[in-house]
Amino acid sequence: MSNSRTAILFWQLAILAAVLVIWQWGFEWSKALLPKGYVPKILDPYFVAKPSLIWQSFLRLGCFADASGFAACIKGNDNNLWLATLVTLKNTWWGFLFGSASGIAAGLILGRSDFLARVFGPYIVALNSIPRIALVPLVILIFGLGDLSKIATAWLVVFFVVFFNTFEGTRAVDRDQIAAARLLGASEFTVLRTVVIPSALAWVFASLLPAVSFALIGVIVGEFIGAERGLGKLIIEAEARANASEMMVAIFVMMFVGILLAIAVRSLQSYLLRWQPQFEPSV
Amino acid sequence: MIAAPGQGRALARDEDQTAAARTRIAVQGLAKRFNASGREFVAVDDVSFEVKQGEFVALLGPSGCGKSTILNMVAGLLPRSGGRIFIDDDTVEIGKVNPRVGYVFQRDTLFPWRTVEQNIGYGLEIARLPKTARAGRVASAVEKAGLAGFAQSFPRMLSGGMRQRVALMRTLILEPEILLMDEPFGALDTHTKLEMHKTLLEIWERERQTVLFVTHDLGEALTLASRIILLSARPGRLKEDFDVAIPRPRDPVAVRETAEFGRLYSHIWHSLGEEFRRTRAD
Ligand SMILES: Nc1ncnc2c1ncn2[C@@H]1O[C@H](COP(=O)(O)OP(=O)(O)O)[C@@H](O)[C@H]1O
Ligand SMILES: [Mg+2]
Repeated sequence: MSNSRTAILFWQLAILAAVLVIWQWGFEWSKALLPKGYVPKILDPYFVAKPSLIWQSFLRLGCFADASGFAACIKGNDNNLWLATLVTLKNTWWGFLFGSASGIAAGLILGRSDFLARVFGPYIVALNSIPRIALVPLVILIFGLGDLSKIATAWLVVFFVVFFNTFEGTRAVDRDQIAAARLLGASEFTVLRTVVIPSALAWVFASLLPAVSFALIGVIVGEFIGAERGLGKLIIEAEARANASEMMVAIFVMMFVGILLAIAVRSLQSYLLRWQPQFEPSV
Repeated sequence: MIAAPGQGRALARDEDQTAAARTRIAVQGLAKRFNASGREFVAVDDVSFEVKQGEFVALLGPSGCGKSTILNMVAGLLPRSGGRIFIDDDTVEIGKVNPRVGYVFQRDTLFPWRTVEQNIGYGLEIARLPKTARAGRVASAVEKAGLAGFAQSFPRMLSGGMRQRVALMRTLILEPEILLMDEPFGALDTHTKLEMHKTLLEIWERERQTVLFVTHDLGEALTLASRIILLSARPGRLKEDFDVAIPRPRDPVAVRETAEFGRLYSHIWHSLGEEFRRTRAD
């Protein structure tokens, strides 16, 4: 057990080291060793930067290497790495929160009412067929270049995913469990609170994990198309200067933001669904 | 929502008094028709019977004869196609829960996200009984179910028999005067089933609820019931009505050696056999 665990860790670190080494020096080595036409373009630092350059860009964008000092650098640049990260994180969070809250509410209501489900069904299917990205320019037109349009974009992406899962989860609730609750004295609302919601929660969470990634995608795309701040904006600026290493910095930070949000959702999930075997707290 | 201790319960301490006791459940000319793929078929046809205060009545019949359908109509879970049902003097209405009536399902209907304790305390909790007032009753119910030490466990950690005991206690903690049970031990193995019979007999012989118990298991009906109502194969009709004069307290193993058990067993067996043959002939 511990043996295989160390083996896994060893191979993970070995792969990481290999990737970093090839990324850093692969281009020079292949230029020295291979005939001219055979040097792989994918290793060219002009396109993919390289670890040392990315590190330098990180220090510069992060205001660690500025002659004027950290505080002055932060003040002087209103889309510095930290502010950009904060803005993107904040918009992703709110978009995710509003999107999943409204998705859960709509899914519960339509899941419990056959009438409403039939009335709204076709509209929801139709709206869901629109590629959400196509709506982003419209959203920016309506809500402007600020945070609101990014939150709205994330909302659009998150809502339907969470809605469909909550709806299915609500439909899948065991009818006998509902009957049992009613016979034990539960009102319609108490049934919703104590049976339908806990029972649908597993379905809801199955959608929240992808939803948090979708929210991040929504915000970044919004920032690509029209924004004043944020990590997406940072990438667009770097692209204008053909600066691959700055783009890479933003991409890595996004990765960490994504991981952070996923961990937050996962820990909430394993707490709320601790009655399910796969989330049983390991002692 | 909490049932007041029944005045009637005290009245009928002695089984011999049941003849004079008041009627708790009255079923008159009950019928149920289902629409199966456009074709109407009769599941229950003109069933009438009464259950008196403190009686333990088993509704016995082959599978598919309409026992659950009858019970669900009595519980107000299913609309009826004809006839009338009274609990005490009130007509049973769909969706109107009678706090004096408790129901135990055959299928496992425990809430898997609640612990044993939270499952048993469910009815008290939603009735807004304060936590301190609940704790004692829940603890003693857990104890009575023989589940001390499992109070904090989730249902999936329990065996089938333990789960059914939790389900029983979840209903009994509300002190229903009338108990409707739909093959509650149908999914258990023989040994566990006998243990459950013992538990149920102990509780019933002490508290004397009015019980309508659905089963297809003749031995189970004879072990538990004071009266057996035998249903015909589909469509469910009343076939025969027996008193089970085995003295109490009963032991689920010892009852099988009584003369009465043997006599009724072979009589009902033949009667039931005709119905099983009719079921197969369909
Ligand atoms: N909702 C329903 N729709 C159509 N047929 C049903 C429905 N519920 C039960 N039935 C049929 O009615 C008959 C009686 O069923 P049930 O009361 O469950 O029998 P039992 O409990 O005696 O085994 C069966 O043939 C069953 O298939
Ligand atoms: Mg049945």
